[in-house]
Amino acid sequence: MSQYTTLTRRHFLKSSSIAGGGLVVGFSLIGCGDTPPALSSAEGTMAPNAFLQISSDNHFTFYCPRDEMGQGASTGLATLIAEELDVAPWHFDVQWAGVHPDYNNPDFGVQGTGGSTSLKAHYEQLRQVGANTRAVIIEAAAGLLGVNASQLSTDDGHVISGSKRLPYGDFVNAAALLQAPEQAPLKPPHGFKYIGKDFSRIDAMAKATGTAEFGIDVDIENLHHAVVKRCPVAGGTVATYDATAALAVAGVSDVVEIGSGIAVVAQKYWAAKKGLQALEVQWQMPKLASVSTADVKRDYQAALGVADDQALIGSEAGDLEQGFAEADHIVEGEYWAPYLAHAPMEPMNAIVRIENGEADVWTGSQGVGAAQGLVARYAGLAKENVRSHNTYLGGAFGRRGTLTHVIEATQVAVATGKPIQVLWSREDDLQSGVYRPASLMQVKAGVTDEGKITAWQATRVGGNISPETMANMMPALLPTAVGDGTIDWVVGLADSAFKGWVVDGSSVEGLAEDYDTGSHQVRHTTVDHGLPLTFWRSVGHSYTAFAKETAIDELAARADIDPVAFRLKNLTQNPRLQNVVRLAGEHMQQMQVAPGRALGFAAHHSFATDVAEIAEVSVSDGKIHVHRVVCVVDCGIAVNPDVVRAQMEGAVMYGLTAALHGNLELEKGQVVESNFHNYPILRMDEAPEVEVIIVDSGTSPTGVGEPGLPPIAPAVANAVFAATGQRLRSLPLQLA
Amino acid sequence: MISFTLNDETVTTDDTPDTPLLWVIRDTFKLKGSKYGCGAGLCGACTMHVDGVAMRTCVLPVAAVAGKSITTIEGLGTPDNLHPLQAAWIEHNVPQCGYCQSGQIMSAAAMLATNAAPSADDVDQAMSGNICRCGCYPRIKKAILATADKTDLATEVKA
Repeated sequence: MSQYTTLTRRHFLKSSSIAGGGLVVGFSLIGCGDTPPALSSAEGTMAPNAFLQISSDNHFTFYCPRDEMGQGASTGLATLIAEELDVAPWHFDVQWAGVHPDYNNPDFGVQGTGGSTSLKAHYEQLRQVGANTRAVIIEAAAGLLGVNASQLSTDDGHVISGSKRLPYGDFVNAAALLQAPEQAPLKPPHGFKYIGKDFSRIDAMAKATGTAEFGIDVDIENLHHAVVKRCPVAGGTVATYDATAALAVAGVSDVVEIGSGIAVVAQKYWAAKKGLQALEVQWQMPKLASVSTADVKRDYQAALGVADDQALIGSEAGDLEQGFAEADHIVEGEYWAPYLAHAPMEPMNAIVRIENGEADVWTGSQGVGAAQGLVARYAGLAKENVRSHNTYLGGAFGRRGTLTHVIEATQVAVATGKPIQVLWSREDDLQSGVYRPASLMQVKAGVTDEGKITAWQATRVGGNISPETMANMMPALLPTAVGDGTIDWVVGLADSAFKGWVVDGSSVEGLAEDYDTGSHQVRHTTVDHGLPLTFWRSVGHSYTAFAKETAIDELAARADIDPVAFRLKNLTQNPRLQNVVRLAGEHMQQMQVAPGRALGFAAHHSFATDVAEIAEVSVSDGKIHVHRVVCVVDCGIAVNPDVVRAQMEGAVMYGLTAALHGNLELEKGQVVESNFHNYPILRMDEAPEVEVIIVDSGTSPTGVGEPGLPPIAPAVANAVFAATGQRLRSLPLQLA
Repeated sequence: MISFTLNDETVTTDDTPDTPLLWVIRDTFKLKGSKYGCGAGLCGACTMHVDGVAMRTCVLPVAAVAGKSITTIEGLGTPDNLHPLQAAWIEHNVPQCGYCQSGQIMSAAAMLATNAAPSADDVDQAMSGNICRCGCYPRIKKAILATADKTDLATEVKA
């Protein structure tokens, strides 16, 4: 599936093995600011746009603009084109798009995948691409067959003319000479053949047979393997090192210092690994080396204590003081969420080859353009001379937006002159990575006896991910001419801004938006000890939903109102979430709950999608057992309902790992957890049954990859309260 | 030099005897379907069959398999000749990112070879050494039980 990548579309199409140059029927792509010039015609092939290539033997290639990390984007996006082109999605040969503005994420303006945006962002665009292409094929067919276009129909890649069934490929040469329409009419949803229907993911075969190519699987001539010893505390630098013993290990060819530490290089991975074990390095420790988890918690607690005077105001509405005065009950709670690692199953890796002033990079990333930019910057090349090749991603969850491994591979390739694959170990992944920020949150809320929320004050203390995201992305996306000093200055400015005068939205998202609260205030205090932070599946919602939905449950209990009825009463401004809560509540009433078990409820809006979850839980031997989860989701039109179900199932499992096990401890700045024995992941014997109910919707798709996660931790915590009366306000959930 | 049988062919390697089988298979014999996930026998992504038994090959020195028969995912079935479990994986839309699935399928195939009619608990026990970070467990379980239920297929399941 690896796809050659270039700078210009002209070169791109040439390299896609189109003999004699490609053909492009020029029409602008919705959402793409940079329309490439029309290309010359190729005998036997039609490439009407950046996404699609149709050959005369009726072979359909889809250049997938988004990364496939398991979320099903390649199946979903192919389905959008397929629907309007009228070709079964499973007939597409999916190739990963190279770097070009045509492949930018319409929601981001850069070529990145994340934020549960793929189907939402490309929904109109790719259907239009399919419709325009089908229209021009019909026009060409009408001309060649000497009939009126209105007499023709299509079916699965064929033009139907009376009793004749002719492959699209018969008409691509003629179609290539025509001007395709830009706004061919789109099908109404009731006419959909593939959208909204269940079928196997188009990557299922490759992934069931071990033939899917991940970054780690790419092999090129003379490839050398590198492993890196990094400072055990993030931000530390090399003081001194002795390479003698490492170089004495059979097979080790090079030991080089790079930005993040010392790299050991060998022709085979195992030799490099043995060399690393023999390597001696002394480190210059950073400030973080004095920080342990107890310090983090103490500093956060202190910040919460002075929040009244010093916190930044994120948002506020109404008269909070009056709201609390109107309340019959006031509930106050503090909620803790720890640092977490993403731990995707495929550890970080990248291949970089630099030859004759040009470079290639192969890595499964959430930003193929960022990978190109980093190689260019660290190899001292123009971006135009770097080809970025994407692969399948062995899980990402936000982790593959930070490409330190690409920088490392580039630096080792520069230093050794060899093609290099850098591979991180699982220990590297857990101990030298980037993390979900820890958070201490406080919710103080007022409620009347009738169950109306009158006041809602929520405070969050912790680090911010946005300055770090900028620090990661700017070197990748800015021209190489913009120096590191300038970037450091801009990132420092952003960091100061989020500490001093503006709240980083991703730090507080989800704390106060969902319910009618009468009055509300969201406050934030930044306390950051310097552990690298990044987005982690569902970002701020991963912890804010826990605080918010637990607090809602506490309010309902205090007002002595059923938790579902309480939510419905306070969701009048948010009808889609209210509807999801209502449907889940009706389902909950029908559930047969085994003796000794209890149900917990939570709901949350994130990534434009509404989700309610019910957890069926029991408690025995001091442990929480989750037996069954019901998930009701409104994500607009479910382009592939079974992929949506799978994403909800997966988000529940990912969220349960965090709710029941997820914890990273710092000891003198070092992450204690090192592998799956002490950073346990939910396994099959703990996995609940998950039932997913998708709300029938005719509106455009909204997020799917992340929104299933936020409600699960509070749903389980609320079930534990129902079962035991214990209110658990700290993650991972532990019984008293 | 260490010789063993790899997917029905005799092979020989001069990799050092302590090299884990996983890296011999991936780096020397260039079969990339078996994956590295933890290097400590904790996640199961590297699972292969050694004389029919599911083993974690990231911690298995190649010296330990001299003269033995190794089956990898490539030897279990191919897109043109799927193992019944692979067919079930596709039918039940099991994979998400897909990275762990070779190991999952190899563990499941070894279990079915000795227990053609497993209970749900048997499946939990046999499969709990394999981590799936995407959380495909309910589908993995369904696919295994469905394969076992097809009795005509169960007799064909090979280790």
